Amino acid sequence: MASHNVARPATIVPRTEQERIEEEREIRQYRELEDLIKAKIAERQYTVEVLELTSKLLKKNPECYTIWNVRRRLLIYGLFSKPSDSSLLSTESQNTSLTGIPTTSSEKLSSSSSISSEVSRTTPQNPAPQSHGKNGTTLDIIKADLDFLFPLMLKYPKCYWLWNYRVWLLQEGNKRLEADVARELWMRELGLVGKMLVKDSRNFHGWGYRRTVVSELESSKLNGRSMVESEFEYTTKMIHGDKGLSNFSAWHRRSKLIPRLLDERNADAATRRKFLDDEFDLIISAMYTDSYPYAQSAWFYYQFLMTTLTDYVGHATITPNFKPVDRSEYVIRQLAILKDMLDGAEDCKWIYNALIEYTMALCQIEGRGPDSDEKQDCEAWLAELRKLDPLRSGRWDDLEESLRK
Amino acid sequence: MALVSGPGRAGSSVLPDELQLAIQAHVKYIQSLDTRRDELEYWLTEHLRLNGLYWGLTALHLLNRPSALPRQETIDFVLSCQAENGGFGAAPGHDAHLLSTVSGVQILGMVDGFEELEKRGKVVKVGGGEYRGKEAVGRYLAGLQNRETGTFTGDEWGEEDTRFLYAGLNALSLLGLLELVDVDLAVDYIVSCANFDGGYGVSPGAESHSGQIFACLAALSIAGRIDTVDKDKLGQWLSERQVDAGGLNGRPEKMEDVCYSWWVASSLTMIGRLHWIDGAKLSAFILKCQDPEGGGFADRPGDMVDVFHTCFGIAGLSLLDFEGLEEVDAVYCMPKKVLERILGPRYGEND
Repeated sequence: MASHNVARPATIVPRTEQERIEEEREIRQYRELEDLIKAKIAERQYTVEVLELTSKLLKKNPECYTIWNVRRRLLIYGLFSKPSDSSLLSTESQNTSLTGIPTTSSEKLSSSSSISSEVSRTTPQNPAPQSHGKNGTTLDIIKADLDFLFPLMLKYPKCYWLWNYRVWLLQEGNKRLEADVARELWMRELGLVGKMLVKDSRNFHGWGYRRTVVSELESSKLNGRSMVESEFEYTTKMIHGDKGLSNFSAWHRRSKLIPRLLDERNADAATRRKFLDDEFDLIISAMYTDSYPYAQSAWFYYQFLMTTLTDYVGHATITPNFKPVDRSEYVIRQLAILKDMLDGAEDCKWIYNALIEYTMALCQIEGRGPDSDEKQDCEAWLAELRKLDPLRSGRWDDLEESLRK
Repeated sequence: MALVSGPGRAGSSVLPDELQLAIQAHVKYIQSLDTRRDELEYWLTEHLRLNGLYWGLTALHLLNRPSALPRQETIDFVLSCQAENGGFGAAPGHDAHLLSTVSGVQILGMVDGFEELEKRGKVVKVGGGEYRGKEAVGRYLAGLQNRETGTFTGDEWGEEDTRFLYAGLNALSLLGLLELVDVDLAVDYIVSCANFDGGYGVSPGAESHSGQIFACLAALSIAGRIDTVDKDKLGQWLSERQVDAGGLNGRPEKMEDVCYSWWVASSLTMIGRLHWIDGAKLSAFILKCQDPEGGGFADRPGDMVDVFHTCFGIAGLSLLDFEGLEEVDAVYCMPKKVLERILGPRYGEND
């Protein structure tokens, strides 16, 4: 969207006459290409030649969504559904290559990344015979198109239209290919998105795409099974990776997987209790060992764990068998841990904030108001918050008022 | 309206202490955008043309210069973007999309152009019926709602996102045609997107993100169901978006950016918690992102300006009651005055 994070040079140098002429030529070429594509589509020329023209334009401007739509129509109305041409097209795609795309994209890939080649090595050749001419051509086209997209996604990882088109393409595969063939395509995507998240571990599109890929692979239409165990392991790996503790995307995903994970394990009450203990240990030891008491991602995950105890209704829970007495026991233990944590981290506002919040939550669980010690503690912690975090003084005002109630 | 960035750049540390809003420069900058057809970037950003016009026009309205772009040309351009199915594309000849359609409707609303839409808009035939004007646009929008889940797709190709749900309700309410969709189901869908931190993502299960939170809260406000929000929890999360430099980020431990001055501050406004951040520091940060000579705002001080950040920088300042600016509405990102004209003086009272 517009220019994010683009630094501007200190002085603005006007274009030379030659640069102006060059830019004019580029504009002309771009607009002529767009007009040509639209003219051919108006004549319903759903051909490989026009597909190549769209490739040329989209490489220059992947944001041009109307041309992505043109490309979809080319596939649906032309290239996917030509049963009589299928053998011809698939031989073409072997040598001249369907669109010239696989060659150019693999050249680009070898310099930018090795993902695609690795993926294709692990992908078996189309194993299914061509029933109704379905798998052969369509599979080749989809694979070629996925290969075309990949270098663009590396170059423009935040372009919505690219992710969107990619999902559409794979869903067309679901409709047009046999389930095991479509499934192989989605499996490749899992490897690919994993590598993209290594490159940028917080990419919003990347995490969203991973959820989509996993839910497709789990779906019954692709003969899928639950992947909750391996996905949970994946978040563990990401959290332990470089800057992992600050990776709120990974923590978030973990928070969403846990309730399902425990259900699918048919975890009994003791197992669940142990699981919650382990998660608390994980986040607290992380806060201690990696000098992370100041990273908010870790604190939000801590909040998630506490929410399963304090906001019992309407939220995910880890230990549904807990009685109020168990919940207050856990909160009391956490309050003690937080107080210990203050030692050496007296300037960490997150600890004071948590102490106040969970002291009040404890009162609520136990159905009582705060006693005088608790009141005094909260007031002292609030005074620290005001000192440490003046940006949010309005919030502390409201908190003070709610403590008085 | 072009999305071409620059030529100006946002100031760095050379600005005087007493920061001023360079109103004249911003007006000139926005007026100049459509004259830059000799730059390649003008053509490469055509997919945002109608959005760009909305961003520019909103900024001008908030700067109290609503007539700085010619009204008739504006209406003509918007109508020239309408596709055969009743929706609007980003520019003439582009496919209809929900995001350009909402911009088209908002622009027509701001320039009081719905009558011209009634007279000159496309006539659309669907399912035996024939619709024109506002209703043709409304039918297009309503057709994008997923009637099983309540959310909206961006266009006929099926991408779903809570941004689209908001855009759909926004445009339909401005057209007075909310009854064409299932609002209760849309509300249920948003509620199913809520996370433990009080925030919302693109779909159920997705990570909280300030842009999506804005979209979900605004949709709930239009539906009159802001009561479904965990305001304290969400307010905490949103207030933690303010970083020491005064600006706001979109997610934990990310960089601050002027556009979040809008997404976060408007969200805090909708839940009555704008005072949970330091408004003076935020204003100062936004002002540092402007180019006081060439006009326009950038994402951060020292970066290239563009009309997107110009709109949301100025809208952010307006939310913070910056002197001399027209009052902005947190739900629609349009001047309150305009909404009172379209929706009636008591609009939004059921929030």
